[in-house]
Amino acid sequence: MRIPLIIKYLGSIFLFLSFFLLISLIIGIFNHEDTILIFSFCVILCALFGLFTNMFVPHFPVINTKEGISIVVLGWFLVCLLGAIPYLLWGGEFSLINAWFESVSGFTTTGSTILNDIESLPKSILFWRSATHWIGGLGIIIFAILILPGKESRGHILLNTELSEIAKQTFNFSGRKILRMLFIVYVGLTLAETILLTVFGMSLFDAVNHSFATVATGGFSTKNLSIAYYDSVPIEVTIMIFMVLSGLHFGLLFQTFAFGPRNILRSTVAKYFIIVLISGVLLVTLNLYLNGYGSFLYSLRFASFQVISLGSTTGFATADSAHWPFFSILLLIYFTIQCACIGSTSGGLKFDRIVIFFKTLSKQIKKTLHPQAIIIKKIDTQSISDNLENQTLVFIILYLLIIFVSTGLLTLMDVDILSAFSGAAATIGNVGPGFERVSSLGNFHNIPSAGKFIYTCNMLIGRLEIFNILLFLSLRKERF
Amino acid sequence: MKIKRKIFFGFFTLVLLLAAAAAYSIFEFYKISSTVNAFLDNNYMTIQASKNMMEAVEREDSGILLLLIGDFDNGRRNINIGDSLFLVSYKKAMNNLTEDGEEAYLDSIDFHYQKLKNIVKYPIVGTIKQGNVDWYNSKFHPVFLDLKKYINQLMILNQTSMYREAKLLEEKAKRAIMPAIVSIIAGIIFTLIFNYLINYFYLSPLKRIINKINISDSATMYTLDENAIDELKDLDMSIRNVIDHKKSY
Repeated sequence: MRIPLIIKYLGSIFLFLSFFLLISLIIGIFNHEDTILIFSFCVILCALFGLFTNMFVPHFPVINTKEGISIVVLGWFLVCLLGAIPYLLWGGEFSLINAWFESVSGFTTTGSTILNDIESLPKSILFWRSATHWIGGLGIIIFAILILPGKESRGHILLNTELSEIAKQTFNFSGRKILRMLFIVYVGLTLAETILLTVFGMSLFDAVNHSFATVATGGFSTKNLSIAYYDSVPIEVTIMIFMVLSGLHFGLLFQTFAFGPRNILRSTVAKYFIIVLISGVLLVTLNLYLNGYGSFLYSLRFASFQVISLGSTTGFATADSAHWPFFSILLLIYFTIQCACIGSTSGGLKFDRIVIFFKTLSKQIKKTLHPQAIIIKKIDTQSISDNLENQTLVFIILYLLIIFVSTGLLTLMDVDILSAFSGAAATIGNVGPGFERVSSLGNFHNIPSAGKFIYTCNMLIGRLEIFNILLFLSLRKERF
Repeated sequence: MKIKRKIFFGFFTLVLLLAAAAAYSIFEFYKISSTVNAFLDNNYMTIQASKNMMEAVEREDSGILLLLIGDFDNGRRNINIGDSLFLVSYKKAMNNLTEDGEEAYLDSIDFHYQKLKNIVKYPIVGTIKQGNVDWYNSKFHPVFLDLKKYINQLMILNQTSMYREAKLLEEKAKRAIMPAIVSIIAGIIFTLIFNYLINYFYLSPLKRIINKINISDSATMYTLDENAIDELKDLDMSIRNVIDHKKSY
């Protein structure tokens, strides 16, 4: 493994980050904020490191898989570390662990926060928070490949590591085409949402920040009360539409908008995902309505927002669902675990794996009844291989195991079981809010520091889809 | 890029990094010193003035009590000293308005002090007021207590602000130290990377070239990275030429 090559790529990622830090600096200068020095320092730090590594290390034409895994895992880790520096330099509520938590939560598009008073932060810091979502949403490595000149093969190795096995199979494109398509959909959705939110009365700054957070399925808001602050149905509906779109496969979205043959209407996963979301909305609405939450429409308004917000792993809030009936809470926890579709900006378990799980289950039942039968299960036109079935099952088991282990560790720190469990599920699923102490209108401020660290590990594991971390750790055993 | 330039660029990066951190920290420390000055100017002076006003009205109160027991000379002297101390302190506080609501408190203090003065300006010794505790309790004491209350509130306002400023100072100290800490860590990491890269790209190939030189055979000599375009490549070529030249003899 060529370490200089890894260093060169990490430097390129830093150089890319310095661009967003520069935008934050400009916002700081424009608003005469105290953050000018902070962002100047961060821009210098990032740009110097990026320039140095790119100038010192010569060009490497080929990357191997091990190097690709190292670049992706170390890239995510270092970006989170670097993203914490502006928070750390700002101080206030940002202690060392809090700054790390906020940064990891931002880049992994989790959207959990430790802040009690978001509105007291300067605009440049608020923009940086949202920018971390936007960068992390598409994936820092994907951005890096997009800006790096070079051969298809290098980008391909990195892309293979960044995207999960199922995502690659479902894109139906190759190499840079996937990147271009992802980028077009990502930027297109962001622009469209910004325009609509501005039209519906949000300030341009808030609209940009909320669009960044929605399209990245993040959930950081510029307001303490999240979307509840606006108390506006058009804004809520706009955000709901974009949360659903951002939770769908970007390849399908691209094809749908380009009138291609494979579109949302023809995708089994997308159809199931939308059906499950609608069912969830109706069940929660009925539960709230029957428990005297308000009129049916009033219940529908809040239930639909919360279900879509958690179901798409965004994490915005219009109500404090921690005080809802227990059946609604249970359903919302299910959506926290289920997450959105593969090929979207969401993290966590992903809905496609649940579909594969049920298809595998039905296959196993049929196999038990007809042992000699050759049963091939398909999602749309693609057959599910045995390897993919095994991978999916191992992934689901590992995923649930991590949730239970981290819940156990949190309860050891005197965190109540609902907060610990929902927090663990929300962080590994990159959803954001949980229930009780970490509810949708609450925050993670009062979680012990060690607990916050466990949650950040969950966020990174969820974002990197477990296997990449395991592969990276197994690299240590091999010779460098 | 040539080795000389690369190494220069490495050190230049390190210097720039440390310079940026130093400039940042110095600026933050400068801000701390200006905060300390503002903190002393804005709040400490008013707190001191409030304490003096409090002492002044206490003196005037004791002056009144002396007048009530018939000690005219000491009573009047205490009232005069108290009055001049109050006026000086009040003026100081009035010239140092820095907090929201401070002016309103000073207006209330002035209003109640004038009320107190109106009571004191009439003779006490040799009149029916002398020895009259009821007069003291019903006329003078309530005004005296109100005045003390407003002076106290002014003091609390400035003390709270002072506490807030002190907290801010703590925050600013942290902000001043943080860039230095970040730079030290970044500097150490950068130095390690720089050292590793020099070792990887220059020292290690140089060592291999030296080890192979004794073989004196350009065909079996260690081959440098084909992308290298620096002085090592020149050295490699020179050695190969020397070996080829020697072989031709």
